[in-house]
Parts: sequence; C-alpha cells; structure tokens
Amino acid sequence: MNTVKLYLHSMKMLLKSQLQYPWSFCLQTIAQIVMEGGEMMAVLLILNRFQALNQWTGGDLLFFFGIMSITFYLTECFGRGITGNFAALIRSGNLDTFFLRPRGIMTQVLCHAIDPRRIGCIAVGAAALALGCRESGVIWTVPKIFLFTEAVFFGMLLILGLFLIEAVFAVHSVKSIELVNAVTYGGRSACQYPIDIYPGPLRVLFGTLAPFALVLHVPATVILDKPLMGMDGAIAFLCPMAGLMFFIIMYFVFQKAMKYYRSTGS
Amino acid sequence: MRKYLSTFLMRWKMEIQYRGAALGGIVCQMVFGLILIALYRALYLGSPQAMPLSSICTYVWLQQAFFRMLLSSDNDLMDKIRTGGIAYELCRPVNLYGYYYARIGAMKLMGSLLRAVPMLLFASLLPAGWGIAAPASLPALLCALMGLGLGLLCMCALENITMGISMRTIDFRGFQALLNLLMTTFSGNILPLTLFPESWQQVVQLLPYAQLLDAPIRLYTGETPLSAAGSTFLIQLIWLGIFLAIGIHLWQKNTRKMIVQGG
Repeated sequence: MNTVKLYLHSMKMLLKSQLQYPWSFCLQTIAQIVMEGGEMMAVLLILNRFQALNQWTGGDLLFFFGIMSITFYLTECFGRGITGNFAALIRSGNLDTFFLRPRGIMTQVLCHAIDPRRIGCIAVGAAALALGCRESGVIWTVPKIFLFTEAVFFGMLLILGLFLIEAVFAVHSVKSIELVNAVTYGGRSACQYPIDIYPGPLRVLFGTLAPFALVLHVPATVILDKPLMGMDGAIAFLCPMAGLMFFIIMYFVFQKAMKYYRSTGS
Repeated sequence: MRKYLSTFLMRWKMEIQYRGAALGGIVCQMVFGLILIALYRALYLGSPQAMPLSSICTYVWLQQAFFRMLLSSDNDLMDKIRTGGIAYELCRPVNLYGYYYARIGAMKLMGSLLRAVPMLLFASLLPAGWGIAAPASLPALLCALMGLGLGLLCMCALENITMGISMRTIDFRGFQALLNLLMTTFSGNILPLTLFPESWQQVVQLLPYAQLLDAPIRLYTGETPLSAAGSTFLIQLIWLGIFLAIGIHLWQKNTRKMIVQGG
C-alpha cells in the first residue's frame, strides 16, 4: 500500500512540475489530439470507402479503435518510466542511483516519469469508443462495464510487459532495440482492428506471443455481442488474465536482468 | 556551391556510420508493412475497389521504404538554439540556410536509401498481392525517380521553414509535432491517399505533403499517366519555389535579429 501511495505522490509532483509551462503543455496536448485524430480519421475514411470489414460494422471498428487507444495511451501516460526512454536511464547512469534507495527498482522507474499530454490521445480514443457504442447499439450492463475495466487494466499490464522486453534488452546492449517496436507499436497498429481479419502468422503473434487478442479483443467482442470464436461467458472474463500473466513473467525477467546490470559509469 | 556540396557529403558519411541501428528499424518497418497489407487485403475481400490491390501494396511498400524522408530529423540545430550554441554557427563563412539545407538533404537521402534498398528487395521477393509490383514502364520509373528527387528538395525547403519558425520560439516540440502529423496524414503514410474520398483527393494531391512520396508513387504505378508527368513536376517546382522564397527570407530576418540564449 505504501508503494501505491508513493507512486501516486510522485505522479502528483511530476504533474505539477509539467504544468509549470502551461503554454507549452497546452500546445503539446493539442498536438496529441490532432495526432490521434489523424489515426481516427484514417479509420473513418476507410469506413467511408469500404463500409464494413467482414462481419464487423463501422461502429464495431470504432469500438476496437477506441479500446486500443485508451489502453495504449493510459499506459504511455502512467507507465512513462518504462514506455519512455528506459535505455537513456541506463546510458546516462541515472539508474545507478535507484540501487541506493530503499525501494524496488521497478517502483522507482515507474515513479520517475509521467506523460500527461497523452490525455489528448485518450480523449480521442474515448470519443471513438462512444461513437462506436452508439452506432453499434451497445447496451451497457454491470458485467460489461466490469469486463471493459478489466480488459483496459490488464491491457495496460500487457503493454507494460511488452515494453519491459525492450528494457531487458537495453540492460544487455545499452542501446534501445528498435526491433521490439514491432510488437509494441506494431501491436497497437495491428490490433486497432479485430484479430480475425489477419492471416495465420499474425494471429499467432498477437493471439499468443503478444496476446492483445485475448486481453482486448475477446472482451470487446463480448461487449459488442459478437463473441470471437464462441468465447463467451466466464472464458471472456478469464482471457484478459493473459495480460497479468505476461506482466508477471516479464517482471521476474526484469528483476533477473537487474542482477546482471553493469553501470555504464557515466 | 562547393562548400554546400562538401557539407552534404560529410553528413552523408556520418549517416552511413549507423548501419547497425538501421537494421532493427528496417525489420520493424517490414512488420508494419505486412500488417498494413494484411488489413487492406481483408478490406478488399469484402468490397473490391477500382484501384487494384497490387497498386495498394506497391504504395504501402514505397511509403515504408522512404519513411525516413518524411520525418524531421535534425535536432542538432534545435539543441543549438536552446543552448545558445547558435552563436558559433553564425560565425561560419557560409550561408546558414544553404548549410542546413545541404545537411538535411544528406540526412534524409542517406537515411532512407540505407533502409529502402533492403526493404524494397524484401518486398519484391514477396508473392504477388503481398509484395511490390514492377513499375508501369521504364519511363514511368525514371519519372518517379525524378519526382522523388524534386519532392525531396521540396521537403528540405519545408523543413527549413519549420526550423526558421522554431528559432523564434525556443520550445518547438508542440509545433513540430503538429507539422509531423500533417505530414504523416497527408503524405499518405497512415492511409494511402489513393483511398481517400475522390473529392478530397483532388485537393490533397495538390498539397505540399503529397509531393514527396504520393506524387512519385502515382507515377511509378502508372496512375498518373506519363503525359501528365509534366504537370506533376510543375506543381512540385511551384511548391519548391514558394518554400525556398519563404525560407530564405525567414532565415535572413532571423539571422539579422537573433537573441542568443546564454549557456
């Protein structure tokens, strides 16, 4: 509990320091809105030309887009310590100081950065989600709300876990590994659309290795009343747990990597 | 002229140093290309369009291959503006505008060639319907290359304007992000411009962002017939002229009245 309090306190302090430059903050937030708005416009333009994608209507596609961008950018906002430039922490030697303090490394890494500008992207995602719900006629019930919250929360853990892969590589190579972007940012781009439109290899990649499909798509399809491959009921509530599992595994890998950590000495 | 050429070559050599770093980026870009094509294939399956699928694939691969040309990349000058190092730059016996123009040109050209060659090789090995198609004809290929060259000149001039404006504001990130966004949307990187609604296309095609990659790709796939290549080049030249005029004027004004940050 103490750790959570510490995390929240750091977030508050970091937010305060970012708001010291309100003008720059506003401009950057607007830039984020426009950026994510551009992505949403692409989805709308695709709908304008193609109307539907297999069994998915326009509203469904907006829903998928919304849940993905809310999850992804919430992670980027609150997990900035990991999703940002972890390699820079190692290169600059700043990570050394974390070893001296009586707190876990992961806690400190998470506590040292926040990216409140992402609120712009999250807002766009929420708008897409609302629009999607209206067009697809989603009727929200208590279990559905619970399922949605669960999906977003475990989705955040999954994305954090994926970014941890990059962090672990960075411990060994000092430089950040662009290759991992294929599953992090690539996963975001690909899984803005339902998994079943993709050919086999991509389904395997995003269904098991980087299980976006289990964590986000299974709940989303249940909320839309079009369960994916008959995964309904209790299974739908279990599937997002894959995100938690992924994070726990990566957490231990990360802890192990920290044992090998050699300071760059600068 | 010689000093700008040697600036260009220096920067060119520097970019070659980062071959290793480029490799990870290339593989990543390939995965992105495959994901996009898988999406368009699924979309085409439901409702086939007038524009053949192979053209869309070609469009996606060429966009991915030359992606580096789109991004604004020269953060050196920005750092110098913030730290006050710009004072040293002003001492150089060169025209600052020309100096940075040559630098950016080399960065964009080398950076993207390093990535484009392996990517296009990979894309040409993929089966039809996934990979890149051959150009419409040899003259079409030559015209596309010419268009790409002109587009690159245009983009460098546009970037110099961005920097010129940044010089006045110190914190440039918000502004730069906005411009980058216009770039990725209206250059056809997020969604091929050929899939925009027809009425939009007529306007979007004329915008400067379409000149870098969209115009040459249309020449390559033969969507712009060779007879119309002249008007494509003309549009590019007009934008180039406008951007050069604005940029040079802006930089001249900036250098005459510059506030150097102490550092």
